[in-house]
Amino acid sequence: MVRGLLAFAAGLALAAPVAAASLTVRVVDSSGKPVRDAVVTLYPASGARPLKPSGRYTVSQQNLQFHPFLSIVPVGADVSFPNFDNTKHHVYSFSAAKRFELKLFAKDQSRTVHFDKPGVVALGCNIHDQMSAFIVVTDSQWTARTNGQGVASFSDAPNAPGRLVLWHPYLRTPGGTMQQQVASGQRSAGFKVRLRPPPPAMSMDY
Amino acid sequence: MACAVRRLRIGSALPLGCALAALCPASAAASDLRLFTPDTLEVAGDLRLVAVNGEKSWLDRGFGKLRSGSDGDLRVHPELGNVDLVWQPQFTWSLSATIVGSLQGGERTQAGLSQAYLSLKPMRSASGTAFSARAGLMWPPVSLEHEGADWHVADSITPSAINSWIGEEVRPVAAEGTVAANLGASKLRATAALFAANDTAGTLLTFRGWALHDRTTLAFNRWPLPPLGEEFTGVQAPFTHPLIDLHPGFAHRPGFYAKLAFQPPAPVRIELFRYDNRANPEDVTNHLEWGWNTQFDNLGIVANLGGGAELKAQALQGRTRMGFVEEGRRWVDNRFRSAFVLLSKPFGPFGIAVRGEAFGTRNRGSWWDDEYDEHGWSAMVAAKRRFGPVTGLLELLHVSSESPAREHIGEAPSQRQTQLQAEMRMRW
Repeated sequence: MVRGLLAFAAGLALAAPVAAASLTVRVVDSSGKPVRDAVVTLYPASGARPLKPSGRYTVSQQNLQFHPFLSIVPVGADVSFPNFDNTKHHVYSFSAAKRFELKLFAKDQSRTVHFDKPGVVALGCNIHDQMSAFIVVTDSQWTARTNGQGVASFSDAPNAPGRLVLWHPYLRTPGGTMQQQVASGQRSAGFKVRLRPPPPAMSMDY
Repeated sequence: MACAVRRLRIGSALPLGCALAALCPASAAASDLRLFTPDTLEVAGDLRLVAVNGEKSWLDRGFGKLRSGSDGDLRVHPELGNVDLVWQPQFTWSLSATIVGSLQGGERTQAGLSQAYLSLKPMRSASGTAFSARAGLMWPPVSLEHEGADWHVADSITPSAINSWIGEEVRPVAAEGTVAANLGASKLRATAALFAANDTAGTLLTFRGWALHDRTTLAFNRWPLPPLGEEFTGVQAPFTHPLIDLHPGFAHRPGFYAKLAFQPPAPVRIELFRYDNRANPEDVTNHLEWGWNTQFDNLGIVANLGGGAELKAQALQGRTRMGFVEEGRRWVDNRFRSAFVLLSKPFGPFGIAVRGEAFGTRNRGSWWDDEYDEHGWSAMVAAKRRFGPVTGLLELLHVSSESPAREHIGEAPSQRQTQLQAEMRMRW
């Protein structure tokens, strides 16, 4: 009986480090202001748990802009690109994670692309220079974007050591990412980043 | 005249055909071919109510600077504005055409071909460098106020004096190439073109002066000139064809234009444009239309002021010469210039625009001298509201100018004119 209780207690002690707990990540710029739309991904040392694609993923074109500007989708997702503008679009990406072209499609037409590798996919339109957007294709279920307060939260992060990867479209670092380690039991983390000014949303077409 | 136009029509067929062949990729994918699908057709048009005072319109062989004129009193009348049928067939995913037919109402109602050109836009390189080309009848990329395949005025009804002139007299048949590249966080776009059939550019600007209107020159159509005075009566035809090649052999004396646009890592774009039609000022047709050797430079600035507010400004100056040299000067040697600033701001479905501009000419010809110098200014305020495919616009425009050429018809050199227009613009 006593041996059984000891074994149960030992089991609990071993299980505790990998139990779920919340982890909050705050991202601020060099002047301490919160940074929104930074994408934070947690990779536990024991291995990331990929998320199964579910639901519909859409990046539309309206008023000569992509909507939304930033999307997070799991590896294996199919993303549709409906055009709601009166003009044709030619959506493309040269990113290593997904290189594709959707040649000229008109209003109320849509095209779909399958994203099968993790990474950041930068979108553009060959007709309208000013159009820009990003899709973060993730292989970890613990991926979130920062809100207006610069905060990304994981309510079910594993209580285990791991690695946080931060990406932002205008991050001034090689590769546009930053990383830091998280210890077992750590409940919060922070990044201080330097950002480039966003490119002006002006057309160079004439 | 008919001979010159026929020469242009026949002569333009070969170079345009060559341009098409050069632009057409060898492997045209049949699946990309869209000739008459709904997305290749667009119709746009407007109806307007016009209240105007002041002098007779230039379209009625007067010196009035607006599309409509009066006999001094306030005149109110409904008018059909511009109706455009746009056809943009797609031959391959990168090769398309733009054909625009226009009907322009009011004084001297006319219909015809507004634009007809091929466009090539292949995929840019991974570095972001992009190449594109156009060939045919089109407006050179000068105006900051016009947009769309039908080249409509975006923020108001009436464009500035600069872009009114571009629409009426800068009408070449051109072959144009553009390269756009990213320079770090900055963007650069360079355009160069060779063109023909714009030998008379400068005729209206000299004999009539600057004007403000949204009439544009349709292929092979002509505009009336105001009474020319005794020097030019019997020397210059009382009309001008802006789209005409006077020099023997189509494009044997081509003109050129070039443009540089630069956007630093800030919401500002700066544009420089240079035009030279290289016309021979001593060429003349049997119908007394002369070559006008015309050059101009245009500086354009677009700035995004935040909240959707936008500033657009253009400054243009140039020179046009015509006729033979007498006493060391050509008959006409006209230096012209104009500048405007336009501010626009959207408020949901509403938008307002305000524009101020100045214009003038300085003449140093042996026949057309400084007695004919013109000076003027105008101010415009416009408001618009969108209702789905319909846009309502209200525009108040005042123009003041002094031009001694008005004395040819017994008018005072100094004139003022105010015009209020309400327009309903539709697009399908």
